Amino acid sequence: MKSFELHDAGTVQEAVALLNKFGPSAKIVAGGSDLVTGVMKDWVHGKGMPIPEKLIDVTAIPEMIGITIAANGGATIGAATTLTSITESKDLDQKWAVLTQSAASVASPLIRNFGTLGGNINQRPRCWFLRGEHFDCYKKGGDFCFAVTGDNRYHAIIGGELCYIVHPSDVATSLLALNASANIAGPSGTRAVAFDSYFTGPREDVLRENVLKHDELMVNVTIPALAPNTKTAWSKLKDRQVYDFALVSVAVVVTQENGAWRDGRIVLGGVAPVPYRAKVIEQALVGKNIKDTIKAAASTLKTVARPMSLNAYKVDLAINLIERTVLNAL
Amino acid sequence: MAKQVDVMRAIQDAKYADGLTKDQWFDLAQSQEWHLMVTEMADMVAPFMKKYERMLPGVGGSGNGNEPANPSLAATDFSVLGKRIPRVQGIGIVTGLGKYAQHIAPKNALFLKTLRSPHPHAKVVKVDTSKAEKLAGVVGVLHRGNLPKEYQDVRLGGGPPLRDVFNEEVYEVGAPIVCIAAESDHIADEAVHLIEVQYQVLTPALNTLDAMKPATAKQWDNKFDGTIIDIPTPFKRGDIAKGMTEAEVVVENSSARATEQHMPLEMTTTIGWWDNDKYTAIYTCQHAHGSRNGLAQALKLPQHKVRVIQTGYMGSGYGYRSGVDLTEVHAAIMARLTGRPVRAMYTRAEDFIIRTHRPENFNEMKLGVKRDGTIVAGQFKVIANVGPQRAAAASGSWYNMQYMYNIPNLQVEGVDVFTNRFKSGPYRCVGHPNGTLALETIMDIAAYKIGMDPVAFRLKNVNMYGNVDAKLPYSNPGAITVINEAAKTIGWAQKFHAPKAKEVRPGVFHGIGFASTNCNHGAGSAPSTGMLIINTDGTVNAISGATDIGPGQKTQMAMIAAETLGVPLENVRIAYETDTDFSPDTGVTAGSRQTNSGGWGMYQAAADARRQALDFAARKFVDDARRATPPQTITVSADELDLQNGEIFFKTNPSRKMLLRDAVQFSGQPILGRGAHQQSTAWFRVAHYAHAAEVEVDTTTGSIKVIKYVAAHDVGKAMNPFALEQQIEGGVVMGLGAALSEELLIDQATGLPLNDNILDYKALSIKDVPRTIDVVLVEHEKAYGVYGAHGIGEPPINPPAAVIANAVYNAIGVRVDKTPITREKVLAALKAA
Repeated sequence: MKSFELHDAGTVQEAVALLNKFGPSAKIVAGGSDLVTGVMKDWVHGKGMPIPEKLIDVTAIPEMIGITIAANGGATIGAATTLTSITESKDLDQKWAVLTQSAASVASPLIRNFGTLGGNINQRPRCWFLRGEHFDCYKKGGDFCFAVTGDNRYHAIIGGELCYIVHPSDVATSLLALNASANIAGPSGTRAVAFDSYFTGPREDVLRENVLKHDELMVNVTIPALAPNTKTAWSKLKDRQVYDFALVSVAVVVTQENGAWRDGRIVLGGVAPVPYRAKVIEQALVGKNIKDTIKAAASTLKTVARPMSLNAYKVDLAINLIERTVLNAL
Repeated sequence: MAKQVDVMRAIQDAKYADGLTKDQWFDLAQSQEWHLMVTEMADMVAPFMKKYERMLPGVGGSGNGNEPANPSLAATDFSVLGKRIPRVQGIGIVTGLGKYAQHIAPKNALFLKTLRSPHPHAKVVKVDTSKAEKLAGVVGVLHRGNLPKEYQDVRLGGGPPLRDVFNEEVYEVGAPIVCIAAESDHIADEAVHLIEVQYQVLTPALNTLDAMKPATAKQWDNKFDGTIIDIPTPFKRGDIAKGMTEAEVVVENSSARATEQHMPLEMTTTIGWWDNDKYTAIYTCQHAHGSRNGLAQALKLPQHKVRVIQTGYMGSGYGYRSGVDLTEVHAAIMARLTGRPVRAMYTRAEDFIIRTHRPENFNEMKLGVKRDGTIVAGQFKVIANVGPQRAAAASGSWYNMQYMYNIPNLQVEGVDVFTNRFKSGPYRCVGHPNGTLALETIMDIAAYKIGMDPVAFRLKNVNMYGNVDAKLPYSNPGAITVINEAAKTIGWAQKFHAPKAKEVRPGVFHGIGFASTNCNHGAGSAPSTGMLIINTDGTVNAISGATDIGPGQKTQMAMIAAETLGVPLENVRIAYETDTDFSPDTGVTAGSRQTNSGGWGMYQAAADARRQALDFAARKFVDDARRATPPQTITVSADELDLQNGEIFFKTNPSRKMLLRDAVQFSGQPILGRGAHQQSTAWFRVAHYAHAAEVEVDTTTGSIKVIKYVAAHDVGKAMNPFALEQQIEGGVVMGLGAALSEELLIDQATGLPLNDNILDYKALSIKDVPRTIDVVLVEHEKAYGVYGAHGIGEPPINPPAAVIANAVYNAIGVRVDKTPITREKVLAALKAA
């Protein structure tokens, strides 16, 4: 590993000041399970993805840790809160089981003890070309996507363009379904960004996966209270039951009215460069009896899917998993 | 020094072998490569050994009709064997506080890192290390350009193509280009990234089947097409053409096995230093003495000037750490040049790619049967990808094809193909698991085709004799017992059903599968030695050259020593370390051989010490009587005495006794027992085993869930049922990983590995393995085995792929016989059906 400087930040302001001072060579670190023991250890770099020279540790900033339930029924979770704290929170599990279940499906207990909410949402993708030191791909500032002609069995079936990564975060998928938003601190103060507009696809900027600028950090995430008659469900299909990313994951939040879909969200992980909200399926369900309609509605995913040479099976998997997860939510 | 001998070339090229000098034959016999071939791949080199037996070691020992007696079989009452004994180093293992090489770093050590080729085939044009040399903390830089002259003609392995200490032309991703030694691991890693290398990229052979074509570019002067490196002499029995015409039903199948890697917990690690003219290395290896010999040959030293220590704690080996590779040679040279200890620990990616793998195989199988279930003909072909080296693998899949069933008309062919991918070699066996996948899937296809129960079909054809060609019988038949036991334990008679006949939940189908097989692993081979010291207080230090690579070899040696000598197990301290300066060679811990190699050696050592102890006791009884008042004159011989539980007594009068320590004390010095066993050659020494499984296959997701697994093994004698169960469960879990999800992949365009890490290479997690693995231990005492035992290390990994393939067919009615049986393949097969 290349040597680096480690800086401890005591407050959010201090962290922002350090980011501002060091410029793009500095990165926020919390659990470090991917940034340090993944990206940096494996020399995942290129001219568009320099190896960090300075890390700013935010795990000792009190306001970034913990789970608070607000009077209005919503919740705020600090970005440096560990995934284990989230999975063990009874408050969260009672109201937003889709979040606790998605957090519990991440990696392994050891990694969840270290890994944080913010780290999971903002981790870099898992594409094996991106992670291979000798593949100089678009995302690292190169001029090629090796997945287009190479082994793309795990790559994007929706929304790929230039780059065909899938977004790796399980909790990002459920938070988007919950209509949550991120609070971001920067040199000019804080701003709230709904997850609806938090993630950045390759068309917009291939070098990053979200709206965070180099001198900004995610402070916390807020989740609104669910409307009455709203239920949630989570499914994650993976090739190995521990320590594996989603082949396809589905987060469902649905508000019913006499068995009909009144409102809600269906968000897919593992299929697109960003957590993918399947609006085409939601629209096919609106106002209709869910049990009667779900099969046909789920299959409309085919109208938006553009599978590659080796991953068409993921379209079938996603359709089947959407159907199962929506029915599980009822 | 004699011209270096190419061991594999000698095996594969008769003209070359015939031209070897006496010194070259000697070098061949000393080499780690040869040692591995005769232990791990004995069936493959058997014809070679027969042809050149006068040139090879061991002729004066075993065989020649002088079948040694097996005194261990006389034992009937056991005080140690048969008990469930935990590992002697158990606390060090479970706490991780044991002396694992990965944890050892001398204070003044330098850390070695290697720049490796990112190209599967290239020429190194220019190496510029100037920036790396300027990095603070870099102490040594070693590459082809500055390699001391005396190492420039050193080679590891055979050729062509040759493997120098650093090659100019490289044939694999991961070939070493430059080594850096620095004050820390991270500095060395950073320095490696400052080296600039210019390559001339050459065309690689990446696809095995394409590489066999005449149009494929040759990479050396090759008499075969493309990069075929060898076509072994086909095995023939009877008349295949006649047999196929006699058949009433002929079935055909193509099956394949993907490249598998061992994925041990501990990374390959060496810590080496020089003391005057002697090199010492602590090294994660399966054979300290073989590694010593390998280093001695590479460093041009006599064997006694190299010392290798394996600590007795090792995150396993599974076959790919039998000897030394180039990194260990680099570490030794670097330590010599810098005058400091050098520590070389592989990265996980290096551990994945630069050593050996279970090779990729392709099988073309054709079986002719009568409608009553009698097999009349088998025509089989195995193509093996041996990777970037001279090696043999295809004929390693033939064993069960030749000996499991009675196939009167048989033809087995093979092709070994060189590619610029991953080197083949042992992984809990090499080819037998592929042979089982190939034969046991075509067996099922034939059984279903003629409407016969697959287990009944196997029982009808099982070979009960042994080696019908060499007229060498089994010491006892175990095949039928294990088949019946596995079938009974899984409930085959009640649970077997027609394909796709049992839907347990919407879209989810139950299936049941079976496979039976055999292999020669576990029989034991030379060398087979042991040492034992009875201290003057009656306690025992036992020393075995058998390196413990995890499964408990040292525990087993201690148990055999205690049982044979007649002392409580807690009075025996087995040395955990295998140190070449302090123990005799008892061969590699591979080929499942230590039970009957190190185990036999330890038996002989304990029996030798026991004889001496009884002799001193007899003299002491005589002496005690002479000194008694009044003095008595008696005669006592050792034969009249017995030693049990640390006490020596008269067989006819057990109350007349003395402590073992009194007999040793009487002699005035410790008793030293030595053991050297000559292996039996009177029997066809074979492991018999059968496995069965139930699965549930989800036709909407392609997920395969193994819900029950049964493994029945004839172990001869269950010395330590606790360790046996662990070995069998572990083997099954690894075999299921290969069956379901493991495959080391490359990018076809660049040849670079895609999943050389433990995240993307999908070995199973604890949640992916069946809740129950029922182990059935069959104990048919083996005439050649120490206490009747047969080794167990490799067999359990063998059948799972065949079992799962057969169970998946039973569940969904379509065959997926190419591992890993992934959801993509299952869904595609269902779509195509």
